[in-house]
Amino acid sequence: MGIVPDEPAPSLRPAPAAMPVAEGPLPAGADEYDVAIVGGGVNGTGVARDLALRGLKVVLFERNDLAFGASGNSSGMIHGGVRYLSSAPHVTEQSCRDSGYIQHIAPHLLFRMPFLMPVKSSRQARVMFELIDAYFRAYDDYQPLKHGKPHCRLDPSGLARLEPGIVGSFVGGITFDEWGIDGARLCVLNALDAQLHGGRVHVHTTVESIARAPANGGGDAGTSDRSGGRYVVEARDRTTQEKIRVRAHVVVNATGAWSPVTASVGGLPQARVRVRPGKGIHVVLDRRVVNYGVVSETIDGRQIFVYPWQNVSVVGTTDDDYYGDLDDVRATSEEVRYLVQGVARVFPSIRAARAIGTYAGVRPTLYAYGPNEDALSREHEVVDHTQDGAPGVYSMIGGKLASYRIFAQELSDLVATREFDASTPCATHRLPLPGGERVPDALALAENHGLTPVAGRRLVYRHGSIAPRILERTARRPSEKDVVCPCEPVIEAEVRHAVREELARDVHDVARRTRLGLGACGGMRCAARCGQIVAEERGLTPADGHAMARHFVERQAAARVVAMGPAQARQEALALAHLRASLGVGR
Amino acid sequence: MTVVVVGAGVAGTAAALGAARAGARVTVVDGGSGASTLWTGKVDYVPIEVTPELGALASELGVVLGRSILVTTNGYPPAAFGHEASLLDLHAVLAKKPAIGVVRCPRPGWNADGIERSAGEGFFALDATVLRHADERLMADAELAERHDDDARLGWLAERLREGIARSGITPTGLLLPPLLGLRQSRAADLAKLVGVPCGEAMGLPGGPCGLRVEAARDRSFAAAGVSVVRGRARGVVREGTRWRVDVDGETLAAAAVVVAAGGLVGGGLAYQPSEAMEAAALPTEPRPPFACSVGGPLPLGAHGEPLDVPGSLFGVPPEQLAWPLARDPLMERVGVLAAEDGRVEKGLYVAGELVADRPRTWLHALSSGMRAGAAAARDAEGLTSPAESTGPTGPTGSPGSARLAPAGAPASRP
Repeated sequence: MGIVPDEPAPSLRPAPAAMPVAEGPLPAGADEYDVAIVGGGVNGTGVARDLALRGLKVVLFERNDLAFGASGNSSGMIHGGVRYLSSAPHVTEQSCRDSGYIQHIAPHLLFRMPFLMPVKSSRQARVMFELIDAYFRAYDDYQPLKHGKPHCRLDPSGLARLEPGIVGSFVGGITFDEWGIDGARLCVLNALDAQLHGGRVHVHTTVESIARAPANGGGDAGTSDRSGGRYVVEARDRTTQEKIRVRAHVVVNATGAWSPVTASVGGLPQARVRVRPGKGIHVVLDRRVVNYGVVSETIDGRQIFVYPWQNVSVVGTTDDDYYGDLDDVRATSEEVRYLVQGVARVFPSIRAARAIGTYAGVRPTLYAYGPNEDALSREHEVVDHTQDGAPGVYSMIGGKLASYRIFAQELSDLVATREFDASTPCATHRLPLPGGERVPDALALAENHGLTPVAGRRLVYRHGSIAPRILERTARRPSEKDVVCPCEPVIEAEVRHAVREELARDVHDVARRTRLGLGACGGMRCAARCGQIVAEERGLTPADGHAMARHFVERQAAARVVAMGPAQARQEALALAHLRASLGVGR
Repeated sequence: MTVVVVGAGVAGTAAALGAARAGARVTVVDGGSGASTLWTGKVDYVPIEVTPELGALASELGVVLGRSILVTTNGYPPAAFGHEASLLDLHAVLAKKPAIGVVRCPRPGWNADGIERSAGEGFFALDATVLRHADERLMADAELAERHDDDARLGWLAERLREGIARSGITPTGLLLPPLLGLRQSRAADLAKLVGVPCGEAMGLPGGPCGLRVEAARDRSFAAAGVSVVRGRARGVVREGTRWRVDVDGETLAAAAVVVAAGGLVGGGLAYQPSEAMEAAALPTEPRPPFACSVGGPLPLGAHGEPLDVPGSLFGVPPEQLAWPLARDPLMERVGVLAAEDGRVEKGLYVAGELVADRPRTWLHALSSGMRAGAAAARDAEGLTSPAESTGPTGPTGSPGSARLAPAGAPASRP
């Protein structure tokens, strides 16, 4: 690609005995931070925000883009942890309470997601049904914490009425209530809020070394002297190749599945931060084909769902050990087939639905040898590297989107009290994320600014109380009201906002923040235009803009091909012809 | 004797006109819109010799062949080997110091300032009134183009453009417009004459007016050449002795030779049929290649000059191995009916256009292969015409409307 060079991840070399000592002049002044955070996923940005709200000076480095890994490729749910109800009810309670907090801090970003679990007829089905009913009756106790509705028990006719697509013989069904969220936006908002509170976020910047500051620089490594950080972090901007050198008192490794790679960059033993990387893929359908999330079972007995999510439907998810390149995780047609076959058992018309793409991510599950992937804990754990000779370096291992805030709070409490004597309590559950203050009325906003109601609604979903500010620009430049991506829809002003205010650098980044190009056309109608806007905002040439667009469209096509059905094949052929004609690509 | 051409896209049109001009009586089976309808107006370069006949045929369909540089609605300047006559060719206007006015027009998908920025030096956004009625802001490109078939409307537009140029104070060397310059035929030249400046459209998305203008030209040529058209989908081509029968939605056409130009994946001549799509829970019944020809008959599908293999899995070939951009050699781009250089599958049966295996999927290839297949089919058909046969209806299934006597002037059979 023309803009961001593709390069392999740093290799896992044998760990040196200890963390090296930094050479050269030490960064000082503006380049001194309290905490350096590596990783721009939901854990890293969550910690950055938490610590910044406590008054600490933080810097965050992200190798690719915010939410590039598991955070931006999750099922997009803030669930209440229903599966832990019998084994660890406190986890369920904690999850539900936190779901309530997230609704409070980002009300615009959450949407209700009712689920429907059909119970197949079989010999023990009646008993099973009673058990499931009782299980969800217990779950109902926690629903008030997350503003969920109590479960419903449905007879077969009720099941058919709510979701006519469900076919088969059932003793009945259960509904339960969860909340959906756009995980990528959650990361972006956390990062932006960290910046608003004095933090600094570097995207597309890879950390190349984490080293101890020399002893004469500002006290021995290991003392908790705040004047002059103990560590020197060197990073390189992958777009501009510019080197960034900062000094920090504390370093947090929040790189998810990349954790061992990051540890090795800092000369720390990789085995201490070992994760069991679990690849999960989702298949995206062109529109909402279900009213409810429908629970089904795969051939190996795993629970999967097809659920309406924003304005598409999503089928997910798989869980397989993954040892490939973390910077280039892709779904395969095998995985797609596995999911579609699983859903088709209760919802056969899924085969007629049109898949428009797939996405894949790698979960950083806690390491364990033996259990199959599903039995692995989604729990999280903080690794303190003091025993590796690196006091003040912490790794965040495991976790899930829904519990990101708790995990961030746990680590921040530890860092704040132990490393900084900071007594400011956590505020991430109280203070709204950017845009979450007072969500404006989307329809009124759309009417005032001459947008279609759909465009207004989507803009307010993504930006909450910031939406009017984005539209203010259009008063001076009416042409920025033009819809760039008709599928989502995204207006030009929003694309510009993503580049100016939300750290987007290319079309992929804009897509992550706005869902531009992730609809039915796969970017055919909008990537070129978006590339031009991004290039213009960043002072690049039109040719750079075209290269960016081409890269995006090709990546999208590659993600789509594996889920290709007959209708899709025709569109792909047409898309290729169009690409050849308009962007000069092809054979 | 009749030559039946299945398909009325570029390849089918070229085949029909080629056969008709070689003296055959031609019936075209038109199944409706296809890939050619969606054409954006750009002729890609393919290593094909442009004979005077080929150039004349292209020009008859409103297409100019030769090196050209177009501008897309995204402001990208692709190089091309020809274009639909309405598109602005920069090659023609860039010779002088260029000042190309990109006409502002409040329609979705048209951003004159964006083109000005993207296309760079030599372009400027020009204010002029293009839309006359409120409904024109949102209607489809083709509908707006149709309004400019009207001379009065074109005159009105020219007037507005001249006003805009006068206001801008710049003398443009060319005017770039959204896709709207006529539907029956290209109005670019007419508008240029009225404004006094070369005018043309930017190249838009598939489904704009370019393909429709070519179809309008096709209909005029068919009428002039006496080609008759049957509307419907051809279901199968069946050999009957030395002749052919083409089944079209319950009707049958008798033919001495057949050219199948039903299109590729986009046009619908080729179907992609992954095994899973067949039934929900059951296993696919047989392992089979995931492609089929939508016209039944002796039309063997293949790629790389070989027939398609039975795949090693009941579930067929994984899409990663078929399609761009994951596949190294995308089968989807190559698969088609195996045929000789001139499109011949067997005596009297030809294929043309995107349905042919291993050939480039481009407009010029479709035109050239259609013309050759049409001419060859006419020769085969002519060979069948003996005095005894030319006296009555052909075969038991021949419908009176389609199988008639050879034209009176047709020469006798050649050896």
